[in-house]
Amino acid sequence: MKGGVRYEDLAVGTEIPPLAKIVTRDDIIAYAEASGDDNPLHQDDQAAIAAGFSGIIAHGMFTMAHLASCLVRWTEDPASLKRLRAAFRAPVYMGETIVAGGRVKALDPSTRTALLDVWVTVERDGTTEWPIKRSEAEIRLG
Amino acid sequence: MNTALEGKTYEAVTLNVDAGFVARFARAVADDGSFVPPTIVTAPEIVAGLDHLVADEDLGLDFSRLVHGDQEYEWLRPIRVGDVLVVESTIESIRFKGGHEFLTLRTEMHDEAGDMVVIARTGLIVRGEP
Repeated sequence: MKGGVRYEDLAVGTEIPPLAKIVTRDDIIAYAEASGDDNPLHQDDQAAIAAGFSGIIAHGMFTMAHLASCLVRWTEDPASLKRLRAAFRAPVYMGETIVAGGRVKALDPSTRTALLDVWVTVERDGTTEWPIKRSEAEIRLG
Repeated sequence: MNTALEGKTYEAVTLNVDAGFVARFARAVADDGSFVPPTIVTAPEIVAGLDHLVADEDLGLDFSRLVHGDQEYEWLRPIRVGDVLVVESTIESIRFKGGHEFLTLRTEMHDEAGDMVVIARTGLIVRGEP
């Protein structure tokens, strides 16, 4: 799986295609099992409510994995992803739709590397929330 | 948290990246299984890092107030099926600010040849009493 995006296709400001996903309780149970993160915030509504949330929330790393998927589906080359930094700034509740996106902010022709602003948003009560905000990815293309 | 533990390195753990584990993780993050999800390294990172932090009585980390603030991965090469990763976590810093505690954990992953494959950095926040 190679050849989705070429370095020559990019310019500062190029937007990457957003990737949306509805987050379900089954997703979060499967992620807890696969990752080994069994924090009750992600499994037990009562524990989540005691911690100040309205119900269980997705793992930040689940949302970051979705962001990585968005980038790899765009480049069609998992080897292109060199670095990803995510700042977790809002919870994600079950049934919500997370949308990953990004924009090229700098290009380095000597290494064929693109630096991207990346994020994940959720629409909640008419407001855009940022489960992943002001984060950064580095992509190297063939 | 006990700041005297800055610089502490925990016992390394070994992960076999076998096809079954890759398939399970790919399903869990809704990938089609045609490639190894880059964030599959979260699983060994939790075992080598977070699990040790929570179990370390000298550290005094309050798990019930723990929030994941930031996460960074640097992949020096992609993860492949068949990789055997040796994963080791070190407490990089412990800071206090605004009533909250901040712990930065650095995790390095090497392959069987001893080459570095991934550097991970996790920012954990233990929220202060409201």
